[in-house]
Formats: sequence, structure tokens, C-alpha cells
Amino acid sequence: MITYIDGQEVRITENDGIFVDIEFFHSKEKFKGLEPRRLFPRSGMNKYIALLDEEGNQVAVIRNTENLLEESRNALTKALDEYYMIPKILRFVRMTEKFKIWMWTAETDRGIITFEIRNHIASIKPLYDGRVLIKDANDNRYEIPDYRKLDKKSRAMLMPKL
Amino acid sequence: MKISSNKPLPEKYAERYAELFKNEQPLFIVTGDLTLKGTYGESALCFTAESVYAFDDSYPEEYERVFYKDIKEAKVKRMYGNATFDAYMNDGSRKKLIRFTFAAANVADAGADFINGILAGDDSAELLDAVEGTFLKQRSFCPKCGRKLPSPDSECINCKGKGRMITKFAAYAAPFKKGLIISMLLSVFTTGMTLVPPYITGYMVDKVLPSREMQTLIKMILILLGVYILQYTVSAFRSYILRITGDRIIIGMKKDIYAKAQYLPMSFYDKTSTGSVISRVNSDTSVIQNFVLRITQDAVVQFFTLVGILVIMICLNWKLTLFSLVPIPFVVIIGRRFGKKIGPRYMRLWRRGSAINTLLTDTIPGIRVIKAFTNEKSAVDKYDAYNDEWLREDERVAKISGIFPAFMTFLVTCGSLIIWFSGGSYVISGAEGFSTGLLVSFVSYASMFYNPVNFFANFSDTYQNTLASAEKILDILDAEPEHDFGKGKIPDRIKGKIEFKNVNFSFDRSKKALSNINLTIEQGDIVGIVGTTGSGKSTLINLLMRYYDEYEGDIFIDGKNIKDIDIGYYRDQIGFVQQEPLMFRDTVFNNIAYGSSNPHVEQILAAADIANAHGFISRLPDGYDTLVGERGIGLSGGEKQRLSIARAVMKNPSILIFDEATAAVDSETEHLIQEAIERLIRGRTTLMIAHRLSTLRNANKIVVVDKGEIIECGTPEELMEKKGKYYKLIQIQSMGERLRREKEEENFE
Repeated sequence: MITYIDGQEVRITENDGIFVDIEFFHSKEKFKGLEPRRLFPRSGMNKYIALLDEEGNQVAVIRNTENLLEESRNALTKALDEYYMIPKILRFVRMTEKFKIWMWTAETDRGIITFEIRNHIASIKPLYDGRVLIKDANDNRYEIPDYRKLDKKSRAMLMPKL
Repeated sequence: MKISSNKPLPEKYAERYAELFKNEQPLFIVTGDLTLKGTYGESALCFTAESVYAFDDSYPEEYERVFYKDIKEAKVKRMYGNATFDAYMNDGSRKKLIRFTFAAANVADAGADFINGILAGDDSAELLDAVEGTFLKQRSFCPKCGRKLPSPDSECINCKGKGRMITKFAAYAAPFKKGLIISMLLSVFTTGMTLVPPYITGYMVDKVLPSREMQTLIKMILILLGVYILQYTVSAFRSYILRITGDRIIIGMKKDIYAKAQYLPMSFYDKTSTGSVISRVNSDTSVIQNFVLRITQDAVVQFFTLVGILVIMICLNWKLTLFSLVPIPFVVIIGRRFGKKIGPRYMRLWRRGSAINTLLTDTIPGIRVIKAFTNEKSAVDKYDAYNDEWLREDERVAKISGIFPAFMTFLVTCGSLIIWFSGGSYVISGAEGFSTGLLVSFVSYASMFYNPVNFFANFSDTYQNTLASAEKILDILDAEPEHDFGKGKIPDRIKGKIEFKNVNFSFDRSKKALSNINLTIEQGDIVGIVGTTGSGKSTLINLLMRYYDEYEGDIFIDGKNIKDIDIGYYRDQIGFVQQEPLMFRDTVFNNIAYGSSNPHVEQILAAADIANAHGFISRLPDGYDTLVGERGIGLSGGEKQRLSIARAVMKNPSILIFDEATAAVDSETEHLIQEAIERLIRGRTTLMIAHRLSTLRNANKIVVVDKGEIIECGTPEELMEKKGKYYKLIQIQSMGERLRREKEEENFE
């Protein structure tokens, strides 16, 4: 049975990078070095976060990070930010094509990157809320939070591929 | 000495590097593309014989040196979209040395294996060879197009020349050039014929009608009649030849796409939906077919009409010809702009259409599941939504492609008004060389002239649509095939010794499916592969079947690397019985005979008998002629399984693989299948994946796979003594089995 954490019944503290420690107030149970994983990394960033032990076994699931104590939420968010790297594309610098292999250069919230797209159909997933998920030839992931909010030049580059 | 590296060492560390490596050279370098803070940047790992130097801006001196003797284990920690190279130290701490995206994950893995190998006391030269192999594999891809090269550093066949698309499609037309040339010549002839009537009309207006010569008039009409008869007869014949030729070209293309689709690797189908492949075989080739017909029928005619009329018009009157050319630049400019606008729209329309196809291929064969979950309404809603989406996109395309031709036609019509005005003015003013007949002929020619202009202006619409389809077709035609069948070596016979050496594999770079697999299976061994769901058992088999060839390390059969053996021959030597055997819509006989050429009836009967299938087949009203429905509808799971065992018997394979063959059947059927399996495996190397460990009672070796690694390997007795994972599984299952049997007996009573 899944143990759910609703919010304020636990204290989460930082461990090492992607790991956190957790303490249940009532049972006084303590777990060290748990790895938080989003159960819905695409559709629900802050809801249903699984906490896995060293063996990959699930200890508990946090229903919503918003309900955690602030300190706990910060520790958890820090670990999640460390684990999940989905750079947000702010604008496209250029898109070039040679022999049907596309090289996209984009400015992201983590700096400028050039990546390779082999197949537009398989690599680009537009969602109905305007988000666009991109997976490059090396299986790295990127996200456009809302393609409608991109600048005109970036939109002109992207639109034919959607 | 050249130092292996996935990318050159970042320039900013060059000075520090030169200082550190004055007296020694690193063995190899792994270059990262992220900083430890997680932003895009540069980092590197330089491996030497006794330590690793990690370069990152966050280190106080730009680098940190870690000695192997202080490390307990090196690991690449794959996260989401990024990974770190971690050193687990002897004091229990963890050092995160560098961070990188998945672009460097494979070489980083090789680095971690190198350190772990050194720690385990392995031969460093051998370890370096393995690292070199990984780097070599990185270089085996064309830097331009990323396709796999025939050998490392060799020239890429794909990038040799430009204009591939034209060359590729022209190759399909080449065998039919005779038909195409004949029809083109006929086109020139019919075009010439179309130019005659306006001239005769002008002659009649200027000469025959004013002279009131009835006989000449009849003569002219008869000439016109003759011209029309000839023109339309030849035109009909030409259309027939072109149609036949066009069809043959497209059939050739369809056959090629289908054949290519058969030889594409599983990794292609992991990423491409079957619906989209079907759409390419059917719809996209039809688009190309229409285009070929349009090019060969209309374009040729229109081109010659254009040239012929232009020549005649210049001969008749060059001034009027110039007036008639006024709208042409506008037509061309607008045509180009239209092409740019409509092209991407067609691509999007294609995507929407392909999504509908995919939905159909998913839901129609899965209709039983839909009904079982009473999900009909949801399926209909989804289909409606997809169609509405397509319709919305189509409306956008229709809007552009509707307005544009009308506007173009309007422009060219304005051209004929210019001729009427300028030519009419000349006739009225009685200018020299201008007659009413000339003006009538000229207006007729001009209206004919604008037709081809209009055609070529609108041509970009068809062209863009075709381009979108051609691109999709080339996706398949140009995809890297599984392997060139018939080009590998064919050994005398395969005895059945199997060796996995340092095999690592991941479906995509974000997660390793198999790590460091080392396993030897002797000829005739019966090996049980056990492990929890998702542990990597089937992946192990997938590699052995050569469904995926992109793994690190080697797999040998009788000492020969399986990649060197002809793939067709190789798979022929393996009998593979899957958990959910696929039956084709054909007779029971043909389903057993699938893959065997001209089998004797008695061979099929014997195979069915060995597989314990003969009994139930003979009880079917139509016996071996029973038509099995799509995907085996009409047969129970156990019956299908026994047919698939009979299929394996027909192959007479050297190696047998059973992937949970009895997982989905009751105890009695399991007993029948088990009996059949026991008959079949005698003397053959056999690998059996099984959840029910009771089915492995004949196994002389058990391999326990967990999280992509082999954690236990030995005889059942050895593993029971070891009291490890296998022991635990046996304990759990024997309890479960007992309960199941009790339950079954209870139900029976």
C-alpha cells in the first residue's frame, strides 16, 4: 500500500545533492538518503513526488509539495532541481539543416546550447496548453513553456516543425 | 601518442592541463558539457594510470585529483536530462566529479568501468582496449549526418552528394524511361496540334470570311476537325501510357518501402508508430503518384505549350507579346511567397493525418479491449477530436490554397484585358500590320499562354505537398537498416555455445538496461533466466536475437562474434517462443509453416504432434485448414502457444529461447506445453525466461538478473545453498504454487 504524505506530518532536510532525509513527527521514524522522483515529470511538477530508498523501493509519496512546511519544501525542491534538468527554451538563435539533420541553437535558462534533432515528428511533442517538449538525438530534454509567448523570430523558426 | 577523447579538452583548461601533464600523459579524456552547478559549460575528466583529474570551474584550482586507491567504486549517476560522474570514496563519502548531458554518458560509463576494473585488479591494457572501443564507436558515426559509418572514420555514403531526393526518386522512374520518353514525344505532338486552331481562326477571320469563299471555309473546318481528331486520339493514347508508367513507378516505390520497413531495426519501431509507417506506404506514395502523373502529363504539356505559344506570339507581334508578359513577374513573386507559406502548413496537416492513422491502427485491432472496458465513447471522442484537429488545419490550408489560385487567375485575366486594350487600340487606329484576325488569334494564344503560367504558379502548392510526403518516405528509405542480410559470414553450423562479454546496453541514453553482463552458456545447457519484472531478462534475449545491435561489449556464438554472422542465417538457427505468440490471418497449417519454405505436410503434422498441438487441431472442424483470425482470434492462449512451439520445431534450431512461454496458461495447459518443450529442447542449448520457477526444473544453470545486472549464476543447487535472491524467489513461489494448486483442486471439486 502506498504511504502518502499530505504535508505537515514530516520534516524533510537536505542530504547530499539529489538526496533528502525525512522524519515523521508522529511515529518518529527516520529515513536517510531518500531520492525524490516526480511521478509526473511532464504534467505535474509539484504533485506526487515519490521518495525512493537506496534499493529503489518506494518509502512514501508526497501528494503536493505546496502543503509541506516551508523548510521541507525548500529542501525537496533543491533536490528535485538537482535531479531534473529540463532547460526552458527562452528563444531560438538559429536552426540549420544539413542532410536532414537539424542543429538547433537555443537560449535556455541554463545558458546557450546547440543540440541535434533527427526527426521532428518523434522529437517534438506539442501539448495543448502551448507547452512544447523536445527530446534531442542524445535523449536530453528541453521544454518551451508556451510557444505562443516566444518572440516572433523564434516562432517563425519553430512553427513549421510543430 | 593520440589521446582518446569524445571532444577536445576545453580551451580554458589548456594551461592548467599543460602544467599538470608535463611529465605524464593522460590515458584518455572524457569531456562534459555542463558545470557542476547545472548550467551549460565545460568540464573534463582526465584519466591516468593511478588517478583521475576532474576539471570544473567550481574547484578552487579549476581541478581536483582523486586517486583510484581512495575510491571504493566509480559510478555514472543518470538523472533526468543530465548525469554525474560520482566517486564513492573508501571513507563512505560521495564525490561528484563532473556533470554532463547524455551526450557524454556512454564515454563516462567507459571511464567508470575503467576505474572499477583497475580497483578489481583487472589488466589495465585490456581495460584501455574496452575504453578505446567505446570512443571508436563514437567515431563510427558521420559527423555531418550522424548516420552509422560502415567502419570508423570511413566516408559516409549518405553525405556523398547533394540532390539526394531527386536522385533517389529518379531511380524509380529510370526503368520506365521508354514509356516516359514516348509519352513526352506524344505530348510535344499534341501541344503542336493545340497551336494550330488559333492560327486557322485568325486566317478565317482575315481572309476566308471577308472573301466569302464557302469552299475554303469548309476546307478550313475540315482541317480543324482533322487536327482535333488527331490531337485527342494521340492525347488519349498518351494518357494511357503515362498512367500505366506512373503506376508502375509507384508500385516499385511501395514495394521498396515495405521491404525496407521489414529490415528496419526494432529501435526504429520503438520511436516510430506503426500507423505512421502505414500512412507512408499508402497515403504518401499516393501523393507522389499524383505528382508523378502531374509532372509527366500536365507539366510536360504545359511547358511545351508555353514555349510554343511564346514563339508564335513573338512571330505574330512582339509588341503585344511584351504587353501580355506584364503580369508574369507578379505571378512568379506571389507564387514563391505562397510556396513558403503553404509548405509548413502541409507538413502540419500531414502530422494531423498521421495521428489519425496511428489512432486507427491502435484502436481497431484492440477493439476487444475497448469493449471490455466499455470505452467505446472515449475512443469515438478521441477520434473525433483528432479529426477536428485535422479539419482545423485543413481549413487553414484550404484558405491559403483557395485564395491564392483565384488571385493568380485574376492577375492573368488582367493580362488579357491589357491585350484587348492595346491590340484593340492599334486595330481601331488602323496601325500597320494589325488586323482583326491577328487580334483574335493573339487573344486566343494569350488565353492559352496564361494557362501554363497559371499552372506553374500553382505548381508550388502540389510541389510542397509532395515534398512533405517525399520527406516522410525518405525517412524510411534512408533509415539505417538492421543489417545487410546475406553479407555476413555463414558458419558451417551453430553448435550453441553462447558468451556475453562486458555487455552494456541502454534503449536510450537516459537509463541503462543492462550493465556489465558476463555470461558463458555451454553447448546443450538448459539455462533458466529469472528475475523480477523489468529486471532485464527480455532485453538480454533481445540482444541475443540481434533485435538491437547498438550495445557495448561482445556476444559470441561458438567463439564467433554474432555481429559478424549473417543475420538471416543467424536468426534461422534460433527458435524463439514468445509469451504472446503472434498468429497471422491464415490457416493453421500456414501459421505453423511460417518461415519454412515448401514444408512437407507430414513435417507439419510431426511438428504439431511434438508441440502437443496435433490433438486440438484435429478436433477443429476444418483441421489444419482452419482459418486463424487476425492476431490469432479463435484460438486460446495455450493453443496459440503450442502452434508457436510447432513453428519453432519446424525451424530445427540449434538454440531455443522461451520467453515466459507458460506464463498465461492454466496448470493443465502448462503441463501440455511443458511436455512439448521438453521434447523440443533435447540436445539443444536452451534459454528459458520464466516467472514460474517450477517450469525450470530441467535447467542445469540459473541466471538471476536484477536491475540489469547478473547477480547470481550457477546450478540450482548451488544457488539454493547460497540462500540469495534465487533461494528467496523459490521460497516465495513454492508457497504461492501450493496455494494455487489447492485453489485449483478446490475449484475442480
